[in-house]
Amino acid sequence: MSPARSSQLLIAEDLARRGQLPAAVAACYEALAINDRDPFVHALLGHLMLEGDFYDEAIAASTQAIELDPDCSPAYLALGLAYDRRGGMWDQSVLVWHELAEVVPDLVIAHVQLGEAFAAAAFEEEAVDSWKRALELDPKEARAHYNLAIAALKHEGMSTALPTIRRAGELDPSQDELFFALLGLPAEQIEFDIATVKPERDARLFAAGMLLRGEDFFGASDLVRIVLDENPADADALALAAYAYLKQEASNEAMACALRSLTFSADLPTALYTLGVVYSRFPGLSKHSARVFIALAKSAPQHSLTHVLLAESLLGLQRYGQARQAYRAAVRLDPACVRARFGLAAVRLTEGGYAEAQWEIRRAAYYDTRRQGNFWRMYDAYAEGGDA
Amino acid sequence: MVSEEATHLYEAFVSQDPAKAIQVVERVRSSGVPQTQLFDSLFVPAMSLLGGAWAEGRIDEIVFTQASVVAEQIGSFVMPPLTRPDTGVTVVMGSIHRDRHGIMKDIIASALKEAGYRVNDLGVGVRGADFLERLEETGARVVIVFAEILATARAVAGVRDLLTAENRDDVVMLVAGGPFAADPGLARSVGANGVIASAESALKLLGRVREDLLGGGAS
Amino acid sequence: MATKKPQKKTVKKPAKQQTGAAKSAEKVPMRNPDFPVGVDYYPLDEERRSWSDWYDRDVAADFAQMAAARISDVRVFVSWRALEPQVGQYDEEAIGRLERIMEAARTHDLKLIVCFFADDRLAEMNEVPWGKRRDARTDDYLIQREISLVQRIVNRYRSEPSIKAWDLGNEAFCSGFETEAALEKWVTELREAVREVDPDRPVLLGVDPETLLRETGVDPRGAIDLCERAWSHLTAPYRAYIAEGPVTSGPATYTDSFLLRAALRDLPVVVDGIGVHALDFSAAEEAAYVRTALYSALMNRASGAMLRRWRDLETEKREPYFRDPFEVLVGVIDVTGTPKPALAEVKRFAAVAARLDPRRYALAPERAAVVIPAERYEPLPSLAGLYDPRACLQAYIAAKEAHVPIAVVREGETLGAYHALYLPSPAALTAAMWADLGAFVQGGGSVVLSYGGGDVDPALREIFGVEFLGDSGPRKTFSCRVAQPGMLGDLRSFDARMELPHYALLTASGATVVATDANGSPLLTVNQYGQGKAVFIATPIERAIAQNDPWATPTPVRHLVRTVYGTVASSAGAGAMLECDMPDVEIAHFLGEDDDILLILSHNAEKTTATLTTPRTVATVQDVRGGTPAEVGGKTFGVPLGPNGVAALRVTFG
Repeated sequence: MSPARSSQLLIAEDLARRGQLPAAVAACYEALAINDRDPFVHALLGHLMLEGDFYDEAIAASTQAIELDPDCSPAYLALGLAYDRRGGMWDQSVLVWHELAEVVPDLVIAHVQLGEAFAAAAFEEEAVDSWKRALELDPKEARAHYNLAIAALKHEGMSTALPTIRRAGELDPSQDELFFALLGLPAEQIEFDIATVKPERDARLFAAGMLLRGEDFFGASDLVRIVLDENPADADALALAAYAYLKQEASNEAMACALRSLTFSADLPTALYTLGVVYSRFPGLSKHSARVFIALAKSAPQHSLTHVLLAESLLGLQRYGQARQAYRAAVRLDPACVRARFGLAAVRLTEGGYAEAQWEIRRAAYYDTRRQGNFWRMYDAYAEGGDA
Repeated sequence: MVSEEATHLYEAFVSQDPAKAIQVVERVRSSGVPQTQLFDSLFVPAMSLLGGAWAEGRIDEIVFTQASVVAEQIGSFVMPPLTRPDTGVTVVMGSIHRDRHGIMKDIIASALKEAGYRVNDLGVGVRGADFLERLEETGARVVIVFAEILATARAVAGVRDLLTAENRDDVVMLVAGGPFAADPGLARSVGANGVIASAESALKLLGRVREDLLGGGAS
Repeated sequence: MATKKPQKKTVKKPAKQQTGAAKSAEKVPMRNPDFPVGVDYYPLDEERRSWSDWYDRDVAADFAQMAAARISDVRVFVSWRALEPQVGQYDEEAIGRLERIMEAARTHDLKLIVCFFADDRLAEMNEVPWGKRRDARTDDYLIQREISLVQRIVNRYRSEPSIKAWDLGNEAFCSGFETEAALEKWVTELREAVREVDPDRPVLLGVDPETLLRETGVDPRGAIDLCERAWSHLTAPYRAYIAEGPVTSGPATYTDSFLLRAALRDLPVVVDGIGVHALDFSAAEEAAYVRTALYSALMNRASGAMLRRWRDLETEKREPYFRDPFEVLVGVIDVTGTPKPALAEVKRFAAVAARLDPRRYALAPERAAVVIPAERYEPLPSLAGLYDPRACLQAYIAAKEAHVPIAVVREGETLGAYHALYLPSPAALTAAMWADLGAFVQGGGSVVLSYGGGDVDPALREIFGVEFLGDSGPRKTFSCRVAQPGMLGDLRSFDARMELPHYALLTASGATVVATDANGSPLLTVNQYGQGKAVFIATPIERAIAQNDPWATPTPVRHLVRTVYGTVASSAGAGAMLECDMPDVEIAHFLGEDDDILLILSHNAEKTTATLTTPRTVATVQDVRGGTPAEVGGKTFGVPLGPNGVAALRVTFG
């Protein structure tokens, strides 16, 4: 269906899209005063209440939207997320995600959330099936990987879970972002023309970093080569080369360049990062990766992911208590760090803290689903009369 | 001497000669460098030399890649041992009869195996007689009994009674699970020698048991 | 200014002069009659039972176990359906069950709180078959029948010594009311019905003024004020709203006492519903939570505490329960009758509480208060009713972390007793409140107000000495640069990843800028106004803490808030009497004539040692339950605390 939306609703939508929560809620109520049976308004209100973490209100509004139009898919999304974020409503949550997965079968999040709801209700097999289905749709879905790692931990222990956690971490774009943050690149993408790069070391290395971020490994390597031709002992250039090799799955070349870099600058974060990641790929090098990541966390303590990498290497050494401290440091720096949340969940499970582990998984879902912003995609598709 | 050998290893990489590389490793190993140190003392400096040669343009991209392939091939010779050495200590474990909780047990079993313990995991819902039977069968002197609910936690006393009845007071009985973590007195009352609160505490406690009670020897 | 670090003292040897020990040898009661610990004793313990099995079990055995655990009070729930199966016909067999309860209570010296109208999901206590599905809360005929039932019971047992109080209804029942008027009418009629036959025993309404409002939109304060006792009660939905997260650390460990403080007005308040809401907590977590809630109650002026449930509910073997919407699942003994670790906590707590004779020890007065804005009572679409309680809880926690003895008041209530006020992130205050604030500060009080978004009242300029230029909107990073070190405590510059919903653009028009953002826009100002100080924070900091992740607030942000709160309270004479180096350790200081008692509670699930510094030299420290006093001979001493640990210490000075 694609009923006409009232002008008041459009105002509310505009305010909501701009993140102006109180004003958008007020506009929704004005829209309801005109027509209190408009599913769009209730769905939007459900989303807004969810944004404010007011779950009971979100549940009420989304339920109302679904009652008015059982095909209102964005309301199902808001309702399912509200149940999950509120906690303790797994039976209802399973129904909602199951319904949404039927209606929008390629909606990855529905399968991930369905799996978490199943897991919380102790239906482990159904949970694993849901996450596997999510990975069929999107092999890079990090949270499905993390959840499978937790499931593996529960039955096979940390030695099975840790490689999965690390694999998921490498799929997670935040790990690459850490490297570029360590490199000092600005967070936002900058358009630049390689032809205009100044013939200076710093400009070339900056440009190489930007090209690496765009996965132009050859372009980056050319610039790094020029810098190394001028000074083969340039630690920064060697570290960039190491990262470029790492991204091309050339672990030994990466290791060689990173080790060389560290002979000139022993605590260079970019080189430490690459070396640590290479080491962590070899189970026998747990102690080595821990040593490197300890140095990285010390040299770049402001980045949450450095603590996560350290924590994971500590898990490999069975030093779970220290891993918990490192994960907590990561969460304090970035509460939205999904990888740290799952890591904490894993550690808490080794300590018998099931409730807290469950909570960490829920928080990971909270931040991940907020970041994804699926609501507007589904809402717009619903407005156009189709599925998301 | 090792730094010289690192140069030799590097040269073997660059000349794409894995057999020579292996010879270098074996030579260094036979000179007394333990397996745990080969990576740091030999492989790392060789790889650094390789990186330096590439950075200085002494070898080109193709040679660098081929040398890395050789490094990959001999990697298993220099890797520290993956698993920790066998402790020689056998541990029998399981969740007590009428208790179906297995998560903590599975996690701890895996952690102990990884740390070199010989783990006999009897699963969940294990009767006292089964613990005893497996202890006899394996000659183990350590048993870990898991219980996550109060009623089953109290029933762990039955395992100790059984051990006493069979003159197996030499067996170290450790307990794990929420009720014991909440009330250390409960562990004492069921005749436990210690409480495992987490996977890490299991490792620490087993380490102490191994040293203090078993004298580090196998059992 | 550099200060000499006080030297920490350790235990040296038993003191020769054992005043405290001698006193502890005095006969101590098993329980504290001024702080009874009670328990809700529900009629059914197995899900497969039916309404007709109401209290059809061995009550005496349970009561014996309660008495052994030093429990004093038991709340029992009347089943209208069981007692009056047909109109006007009362079932003597059911009445006999009630009498067996009374007999057991007398035998074991327990006191009963009889609750007339309660809902527990299982026992269908109010579903009289002849009621024809009319609403027992509003239907005049049914209310008349309720009055008859109440008067019959009260009259029959008006001289029954085991009955301590009459409870008109529990929160689950009262959540069915849709208006204040209906609730107040019902309470008035029922209360009068009791009073006609029993002029003495207190009447209460077992609802929490904050949680019921949140649940139903009905403000029950008027109805509560018709009674003689008040109740605070953390419900499962309220926990999910205010502080959803782990129960042994962070905000969840402060929520019971926050509600208690918010419920404390003119009537004595009992903290009800102590216990976890879900089945997925371990026995250790249950015990830690119960310990925290019990001590929090004692440390924050409660008049007693009630446990959520006596015995775990035996559920059918079907899909697992994970939440407890009617709060009937988790007790302090398990389904087999075995005491859980939580019950051992209760017994230990009661032993400590028994040493706190209110005639000898008085809790240090609170001279600082968190103010709940009046806008909290506005319905949607105003979001103030949703934001403000969360912001107020965070303000309360910040004050606790600064070890400031703190009360909770509402806008419009009398402020005269306080020297410092915290107004956390209100979007708007009433004109009357602005006038009150002006008078308060002029008279020497100190105020901390954080910007709540939108326009501000012109009084801001006068009282706080800042010119408001507009709201610069949300920010992703919280930056602080200290312009005036030391002015509001040991503040530090920082950049933290934290979303701020608003940021007020200000210029100082008389105020001193203490800290700014990264670009020099004032963040923290202090203004001398009359004899007092007015501190303005340019962002809704408490709301931001609540709306981000209160379990993972960046360390420097928490440090900023508690430093400002603590410094303002201290300079206003409302600060802590003693210092403690651990923010998440709460201290209640009970002042006595010869000695003081300190209750020290860790809100942290890790082991810790709190270092306390007192203004006077401490002679000895001793566990209130006895033991050898330790000599200190200094102003500083360490107190080791386990995970969520407590210490109850008798301190003498010399």
